[in-house]
Amino acid sequence: MTVYLDYQSSKPVDPRVVNAMNPYFNETFGNPSSLHSAGDKATEALDKSRSKIAGLIKAEPDEIIFTSGATESNNLALIGYALKNKGKGEYIIISETEHISIHNTAKFLMKSGFEVSKVPVDHYGQVHLNKIRERLTDDTLLVSIGYASNEVGTVQPIKEIGRLCRERGIAFHTDAVAAEGLLSLDVNKDFVDLMTLSSNDIYGPKGLGVLYVRKGIKLMPQIIGGGQENGIRSGTENLPAIAGMARAAEIVMQEREQEAKKLQSFRDRLIKEILENIPRSFLNGHPEKRLPNNAHFRFDGIEGESLLLSLNDKEIAVSTGSACSSKTLEPSHTLIAMGLLHEEAHGSLELSIGRFTKESDIDSVIKALPEVVDRLRKLSPIY
Amino acid sequence: MKSTSYSKKVLDHFRNPRNAGTLTGKDIAKGTVGNPVCGDLMEFTLKVKNNRIQDIKFKTFGCGSAVATASMVTELAKGKTLDEALKITRQDVADELDGLPPIKMHCSNLAADALKATIKNYKEKHKEKHKKGKEDKGPSKKEIQGEKEFSGKGVYHKVKEPSSLKDKRILIQDKGKESMELAGALAGYSPRVIFLTEKKSENIPDNLKAKLKKSNVKILYESELIGILGLNEVEKVKIHDLDEDNTYELFVDAVVI
Repeated sequence: MTVYLDYQSSKPVDPRVVNAMNPYFNETFGNPSSLHSAGDKATEALDKSRSKIAGLIKAEPDEIIFTSGATESNNLALIGYALKNKGKGEYIIISETEHISIHNTAKFLMKSGFEVSKVPVDHYGQVHLNKIRERLTDDTLLVSIGYASNEVGTVQPIKEIGRLCRERGIAFHTDAVAAEGLLSLDVNKDFVDLMTLSSNDIYGPKGLGVLYVRKGIKLMPQIIGGGQENGIRSGTENLPAIAGMARAAEIVMQEREQEAKKLQSFRDRLIKEILENIPRSFLNGHPEKRLPNNAHFRFDGIEGESLLLSLNDKEIAVSTGSACSSKTLEPSHTLIAMGLLHEEAHGSLELSIGRFTKESDIDSVIKALPEVVDRLRKLSPIY
Repeated sequence: MKSTSYSKKVLDHFRNPRNAGTLTGKDIAKGTVGNPVCGDLMEFTLKVKNNRIQDIKFKTFGCGSAVATASMVTELAKGKTLDEALKITRQDVADELDGLPPIKMHCSNLAADALKATIKNYKEKHKEKHKKGKEDKGPSKKEIQGEKEFSGKGVYHKVKEPSSLKDKRILIQDKGKESMELAGALAGYSPRVIFLTEKKSENIPDNLKAKLKKSNVKILYESELIGILGLNEVEKVKIHDLDEDNTYELFVDAVVI
């Protein structure tokens, strides 16, 4: 059986979630907008689900907007806020290590006349508050900083950033996809105005995302139609997926602490043994302030796609920040922003673990990796 | 097509590369093509007898197709005359491997070029056996963009106390032996010290290189610092790669000139 260590890319749907979705395919299949009793049943299910998901981040149910996924949520947050609040200013601040859907959306806004400033990160991938503060101007409209890096797992000082933005009257968006299900999220304590979530990242079905929109924050809708989701996001609600995500959120609220503890002990073992067993290996990301499910390495003298292929031959599925495995042939912008040279970014390996990872999976990769790295280094002219 | 959708033959050459390694001894020609910055570097060594390639070996830093194409080209070239081997094209290599993913046709199909470079190297060596190599230029005195603007704000001309730059990502410019020693000392306090020099690797004594490597100092050869960028303090630098003649940005917190 394949050892799957790529939870960051995709997660299996929890069987309990699949069960919770089942009634919504052909029993409760009405359209919540319909006035008959089938529609009423759907509305009831939709409302219940919305409340459960809101509870996950300590929000009110009517602050939850369903979308088609995290990418759409990020688009809606940035473009929707910028277009609706143009009068307040034209500067948008993001960080150098945001998810590609934030980077490219910001690029799009630049073409539409907005100014975007990217906050640098340190060696560990962390944003520093003073670097944000010195970029804030009177016409700063929005700050968008991801809760944690989906790549290297570094967790950002979200509460401090949120407080700074609140004091200055600037809206604050955070893409919390990498952190959801692992860290305790609270939009009030963290002074968050807009938060992106994804269903699959808490073991729910794909094709569903959430944008939390604090009461009073106005957005320009990006999908126009029948006025669902308070008119912010039209389209008939994807009820099976929504019921699934609600169940997934429930499971997170019950099991998160225990699960994070287990993942953290696996992660720490990966980091310790890989750094010990492989010479000239380095940890990318923050040694302490990192997600419990993420171990990210760099090995001198080898290239990531070769590493990925070699591990795939041993039935171990992993990710890399190497250019050769990407569509654009550019190395990971996150690793470059952390100060790595291109050749170093090419030699990176990301191991992300999750709910169904077993101790034996950790054993397998710890056993396989030194041999694979050694073989590729013997082939390498630069090691 | 995904970059990793390789043919069976590509995967076979990746898993069991033919002729991997380095030839040593006299009358060996060596050629290198590519750049680790782009993610692909190939090195070939050749042994020629009676104008025919008697033996050939390769080493590669790169993705699956980089390893496979290098391996394939050694198979194609072995036994051929130099002129025959010069005719091997990228397309030939790809065809022999039952094709490469389109995205890899350019970036990771350097093997034929690397072979050509190695043969040319061999021919030149035999034409002018004792011609001296190019001398390195001395350190340039060109003004660096941003050097004055960020002076004291991340740009330092002297570092009295290496611990003052603790935890910073430091770029240090080659100013001779003293700067090398400083790089080593800084590495005791910082997780990231990069030593930038315009010299080629072969023009820095091995013992000094080993010392820097041991203290985890990264050396950038044939590189020139051309700009320092930031908002209120240093955030990144612009570097000119003299070998490839391209420029790129590198994120750092401090620059020692």
